Amino acid sequence: MTTSNPVLSVVGVSKSFGDNEVLSDVSFQVGKGETVCVLGPSGSGKSTLLRCINWLERPDVGQIHLNGEPVGVTSGGVVMNDRRLSRIRTRIGMVFQHFALWPHLTVLQNLMEAPVQVQKRPKAEIRDEALALLAKVGLSDKRDAFPARLSGGQKQRVGIARALAMRPDLLLFDEPTSALDPELVGEVLVVMRDLAREGMTMVIVTHEMTFARDAATRVLFLDRGRVVETGPPDRFFARPETERARQFLQRYAGEGASSERTR
Amino acid sequence: MIRDFGIVWTERGLLLNGLANTAILSLVSVVGALLLGFVLTPALMSKKPAVSRAARAFVDGMRCIPFLLFAYIVYYGFPSIGINLDNWGAGLLALTIYNAAYMAEILRGAWVALPRDEIEAGVAFGFSELRLFRRIILPPLVLSAGPVIGNQLIQIIKDSAFLTIIALPELTHAASSIQSRYYVPFAAFITAVALYWGLCLIVEAGVNVLRQLADARR
Amino acid sequence: MSAGDIAAFAQGAVVTVTLSFVGILIGLPIGLSLALIRWSNVPVAAWVVALYVSVLRATPLVTLLLLLFFALPNIGVPIDPYSAAILALVMNTSAFNCEIWRAALMNFPKDQYEAAQSVGMRAGQRFRRIVFPQILRTSLPALVNEMSLLIKVTPVLAVVGVVDITRAAVRIGAETYEPLPPFLVAVAIYAPIVFGLVSLQRWIERRQVAAEAAA
Repeated sequence: MTTSNPVLSVVGVSKSFGDNEVLSDVSFQVGKGETVCVLGPSGSGKSTLLRCINWLERPDVGQIHLNGEPVGVTSGGVVMNDRRLSRIRTRIGMVFQHFALWPHLTVLQNLMEAPVQVQKRPKAEIRDEALALLAKVGLSDKRDAFPARLSGGQKQRVGIARALAMRPDLLLFDEPTSALDPELVGEVLVVMRDLAREGMTMVIVTHEMTFARDAATRVLFLDRGRVVETGPPDRFFARPETERARQFLQRYAGEGASSERTR
Repeated sequence: MIRDFGIVWTERGLLLNGLANTAILSLVSVVGALLLGFVLTPALMSKKPAVSRAARAFVDGMRCIPFLLFAYIVYYGFPSIGINLDNWGAGLLALTIYNAAYMAEILRGAWVALPRDEIEAGVAFGFSELRLFRRIILPPLVLSAGPVIGNQLIQIIKDSAFLTIIALPELTHAASSIQSRYYVPFAAFITAVALYWGLCLIVEAGVNVLRQLADARR
Repeated sequence: MSAGDIAAFAQGAVVTVTLSFVGILIGLPIGLSLALIRWSNVPVAAWVVALYVSVLRATPLVTLLLLLFFALPNIGVPIDPYSAAILALVMNTSAFNCEIWRAALMNFPKDQYEAAQSVGMRAGQRFRRIVFPQILRTSLPALVNEMSLLIKVTPVLAVVGVVDITRAAVRIGAETYEPLPPFLVAVAIYAPIVFGLVSLQRWIERRQVAAEAAA
């Protein structure tokens, strides 16, 4: 699916680690307000693809554009220096599987750190916005706590708030609930669902099939580094077009159903 | 400069003699310190407060004073209380006693870190105390403490250089005398540094072998 | 002991503490810079640093000191005893500090660093705000230990004529023909300083363990 002004454009991205080709000629676009869920078996390259978008991994080949602006390599073919890359990264937010909160800062400081250091907006404005974000994810009372004292679900909600604090154009989620105890998954998915509903542009790598079916505007199915199938979630889950997708869904159908029961 | 190194080369006998003395000093001292450590460590962990406190005072005391000062005390100070030692005797004694304190701490740390189950299994199987020590306790103790003891050996090699001050003919002293005789300070001391580095690399290689042995048995 | 002797010891103590302090102060940031060069794998420089650290950690301080004091004038760089002493101390301690900082850097959790990258913090900001505060905390016990080791090698500076505590003790002993008492006084001066540092190190370690347990 191509849109006229995609927020994210990924064209022909390939990446190998040594002899292992992890991504092979991956292309897709994400329009404004879309929620794209990237699904696939382990080792299919989902996380690597996500990390290539903000150049935490360097693609070997391919082009990535954020709102028309190149990411990682300039239009002249020159690899960007750290300064330029950092500037683009301010517009892409990322939520990590293991939260990656900064332990020496309080929750509020975690949220305020990047906007203060990087964006140089007035501190009072940043603080107000940070407090509002904490309220939004339901953690106002934890603002002066240190991350070590939070549960996994709370940490991840802080992680989401921290990414939002930079007012990004695009939010990337790298298996945001995979490291959580089952009872804590729900509170994070609620926040993500709300974000999707509010029109945030999101790319989410996840194993949560029910979430993907409910919240995604489009599903990207990756297998062994290639985009095997893509389309709206109802079609993907009900009538998968490829054999690979069918096998994958069969394996996960049981898990998706049982996790639905416990929620 | 090349000429300077040429001079050092002609005096290589002196340097190699110094290197040999450094090696001998260090080896005798590390063995002596380890043996003393084996006596001190049980004293440190003894249930009798008089023993453990005395051992603790000794270990802490040794670790709070500079080695060179202790060497001076043994060489210059002991004669006034009747113990007369030449520079070799004083050097060896100082090096050994000083490092025994460090060895005691190292061995104590290794002992505390030993997994208890293996020892309990040995007791359950009826090993006598001596046999238990030799076959069940000692090997993993030595293997796990190996790298740290290796580091201490490197420290001993470096401490031995201090003994140049009491005119012990070790490596630094040899380099010094070559330097003062022929006015080739750079060549002489750089060569000494290279030789110390070589000694250190040999010890580290030995430690690596020990580490591989330890890993293989895990 | 006469008043003159006490003054000599006091002067020696000042020299010991001052030289140690300067050595530590300069050696810490240099050690950190060396560790950063190795950690960020700057081509050529990282290799040079690795070599420098390996050689310096194997070189006895007395040999290094003699090398600097005698060889530098020989190749045209004049140097006085105190500068040679500080240079030797700094070279020595920076090599050991480098390894301490490097261990902390290598153990630094990668995803915290990536989080800083992902919000667009630049390299300098990432290091200053996220990495440094934490590696300082983890390295502190080892760094304090290194400080106590530095004080324990300062007597060697006497070989180039620096008059520190040990040299003062030796001189007084030679003058009075009673070598032991001044040595014991010297012990009485060194021991509390070193013991203080060791206690500080243990206190820091205990506090860190407690902080971790409370979390």
